[in-house]
Amino acid sequence: MKDLAPFIVSGIFDGSIYALAAIGLVLTFRISGIFNFAHGTLAAASAYTFYRLRVSDHMPWPVAAAITVMAVGLLGGLVLERIAYWLADAPAVLRVVATVGLLAAISSFLTGYFGPRALIMPPFLPRSELVVDDVHIGADAMISFAVALAATVGLYLFFKRTRMGAAMQAVVDDAPLVALQGISPDLVRRVAWAIGSSFVSISGILLAPKIGADVNILTLLVITAFGVAAVGAFSNLALTFAGGIAVGIVMNVLSYKTSNVSSYALQQLYLNVPFIVLVVALVAIPRRHLIERGVQRVRRATPAPSLQMGVNVAGIGAATLAALLIPAFVGPKINQYSAAGAYVIIFASIALLVWTSGEVSLAQMSFAAIGAATYGHALQHHFPWLISLALSGLVLVPIAALVAVPARRLSGLYVAVLTFGFGLLVQQMFFRSPLMFGNQNFLAVDRPKPFNGLVDTNGDKTYYYVVVVVAALSLVAATAVRRVRLGRLLRAFGDSPLALTAHGINTTTMGVSAFCVSAFLAGIGGALLAGVTSSASGVSFDFTISLSMIAVLVASTALTLGRRMPITASIIASVVFVVLKVYISNSFYVRYQGVIFGSVALAVACAPGILAAHGGLQRGWMARLSDPGPLARGNSSSHPVEVAR
Amino acid sequence: MRPTPEQLSIEELTVRFGGMTAVDNLSLHAPAGKITGLIGPNGAGKTTTFNACSGFVNAVHGTVRLGAAELNPLGAASRAKRGLGRTFQRMELWGSFTVGENVALGVECAFAAQRPWSQLVGTRQHQRQAARSAGDAIDRCGLGEVAHRRAADLSTGQRRLVELARAIASPFCFLMLDEPSSGLDGPETEHFGRVLTEFVKDTDVGVLLVEHDMALVGSICSYLYVLDFGSLIFEAPTEQVMRSEVVRAAYLGTESMGSGQPQAEVSLDV
Repeated sequence: MKDLAPFIVSGIFDGSIYALAAIGLVLTFRISGIFNFAHGTLAAASAYTFYRLRVSDHMPWPVAAAITVMAVGLLGGLVLERIAYWLADAPAVLRVVATVGLLAAISSFLTGYFGPRALIMPPFLPRSELVVDDVHIGADAMISFAVALAATVGLYLFFKRTRMGAAMQAVVDDAPLVALQGISPDLVRRVAWAIGSSFVSISGILLAPKIGADVNILTLLVITAFGVAAVGAFSNLALTFAGGIAVGIVMNVLSYKTSNVSSYALQQLYLNVPFIVLVVALVAIPRRHLIERGVQRVRRATPAPSLQMGVNVAGIGAATLAALLIPAFVGPKINQYSAAGAYVIIFASIALLVWTSGEVSLAQMSFAAIGAATYGHALQHHFPWLISLALSGLVLVPIAALVAVPARRLSGLYVAVLTFGFGLLVQQMFFRSPLMFGNQNFLAVDRPKPFNGLVDTNGDKTYYYVVVVVAALSLVAATAVRRVRLGRLLRAFGDSPLALTAHGINTTTMGVSAFCVSAFLAGIGGALLAGVTSSASGVSFDFTISLSMIAVLVASTALTLGRRMPITASIIASVVFVVLKVYISNSFYVRYQGVIFGSVALAVACAPGILAAHGGLQRGWMARLSDPGPLARGNSSSHPVEVAR
Repeated sequence: MRPTPEQLSIEELTVRFGGMTAVDNLSLHAPAGKITGLIGPNGAGKTTTFNACSGFVNAVHGTVRLGAAELNPLGAASRAKRGLGRTFQRMELWGSFTVGENVALGVECAFAAQRPWSQLVGTRQHQRQAARSAGDAIDRCGLGEVAHRRAADLSTGQRRLVELARAIASPFCFLMLDEPSSGLDGPETEHFGRVLTEFVKDTDVGVLLVEHDMALVGSICSYLYVLDFGSLIFEAPTEQVMRSEVVRAAYLGTESMGSGQPQAEVSLDV
């Protein structure tokens, strides 16, 4: 037991910082109902800003920290409050897309501006040590703990002792009633967002000397924060703080205990403790505590009317012709087009969910990675090509069901949260395991040899045509899903899940089926993608690609004028995401393309709310994406949606 | 296709939200082939009663039966599958579907609910059957002219009728209608009353109606239950309730007592 003491102590100190970030998340989530996926990215932005001021500009650390918290925490919080305001009555899918877009934009900016490598942050707090029973405790750790504890206690007293604190809780329940008391609900929300964002900003600064200014790692703080917040049932401050400490201890102890085990997955298990805690909490906590809080009843999206049949046929004809002629014109760039074909399938797998059941999966690239690995292993075991391809999709059906079942118990938001965590888990625990890409994070994948080798796909052009055929079949399958009974039910679920339940439909089964079909398609796409380079690796299936893809897909809807056109949107998104890179070599575009995609996705998600809030321009195509709300807003009550009658 | 109509029985139903008792020991019997009214002021617990019967909220005590079958252990979807249909105070249409598709999908849900895999694809026979039932219901409700328009684009009154059409087309053996005439004008309300009465007469399906239009209630309900603060304060045949001094004083206002006429135009905020 004594050997664990240092890890328990360091777990307490780490956990207190996680708790600080989690409390910030709880505060903003409860006040607005918006789960900010960019919460961890704010921590990253704070770490980079602090680095710039402290290391590059040589400012004293208290000044650098104060400026960072003011600039990223306070101002960032105020910007986020406006975004949350515009999203107040938006469907869950747009709420998720907005903050995922923000995440993609900020991450891309930080990577583009500061470079992709983590910046080493020299320690700025005192380094003297206190030795207690052979356990060394650094002054910096104790200061971090004290800051986190003081912030938590201060917030608790703020809620209990101040008028604004009481108003903050009241706004969650009944904003108009708060307004009648002469307190502006908007002001209360701004204060809450400023506090919540400042908390995560401080945690980013405190974590920076330990892990460096690293956008990839700090972005994931959001999952740690959500796991910790789940311990406090997304409301209790004291439990959340205790949860942070507990998660910190378990992570540190587990890291020590599994450091010498042979299994790579077990070695990485400690990183996924927050996600496991989150899953357990979502399954165990009574549903009424997990309904999206601060959410008024969302008005459902009413899409623009479909295009006429003639336009559709002409579009399909033009796309087919273009697909057939591409090899004649693109020369050595053909492999990028093959990759684009594979990406079309993965985009379609996302679009299938977004445009039917109104949900977002943030793990599609992880599904694609599993598909690619399965495909590669099956080929190495001499399975026929077609069976290997089918297996790459089929293997995902039970996995997707396992992810979807706990999420389906709750609302669409939790599907996004759980898939976010699942994507991370797969990447951290399994990418380097023998089940997937192995120690080298690389798996050789042969190109297919259809019809017993009669068609040799070693030539890039031939492989391109194979991809086009499989992509076309997958798109037909995705279209068919929308047109058969399951598709009708899913569309109806997007309009009114309550009416479906009242007609006897078990919406859990239905949602899980859609999720499985979506994962199946992503697996097929992943297998084809691996074939392009005859290899699969963790790099080409990085988890963060899923987030960028969501942003690009939603940004692409700007070109479909708000119509439900998943296939068209998928093709546009794939061209934008893969093909444009081939032709635009401008370094600014290459470095900051994520900023563009993320910003457009954020704009598309917020547009209906902005239009409604500024002049009632509600008849435009963007307004069709979701009914206007903020005009009629005022009551951001926390009524559970299905019993608010 | 429609199953045998059943009666709905509620015995000693109690629903609490935290410390507040929303429905207190309510017993009610709504027979097949009749329209039974459930009235009361705002917050009386009528919609909560509906939610408890249809499984959207849990009762702390009491029994809900459809015919002889006890519904308490079942969830909302399973109760609907057993034949207990309902509409909502705030309309729940599938807005991106046309009127015809809305009504047909309501019927198709019954097929889809049979087995988990029935949700994947339907047979042509099912689709034909759904289309036939939907066509009949659309004709009955006079929605033929708007059958190809999207539900989201219709007026409130028309959407109310679509919700009714969907409910009566679906193979439910008992219907609970929550403020179905809300948003309808005078002629539309009359039309609605006629449609519902004819439907009940033709099919023998029982209806439990929450309604605030007392003229409509008086003209189509055969028996009324009156709720206040979650408790049943009066029950009797409709004419008797309309004449009751207690009920009129409580719900129709004291001025109406002098006129000696039921205040059909008074719109209770039920």
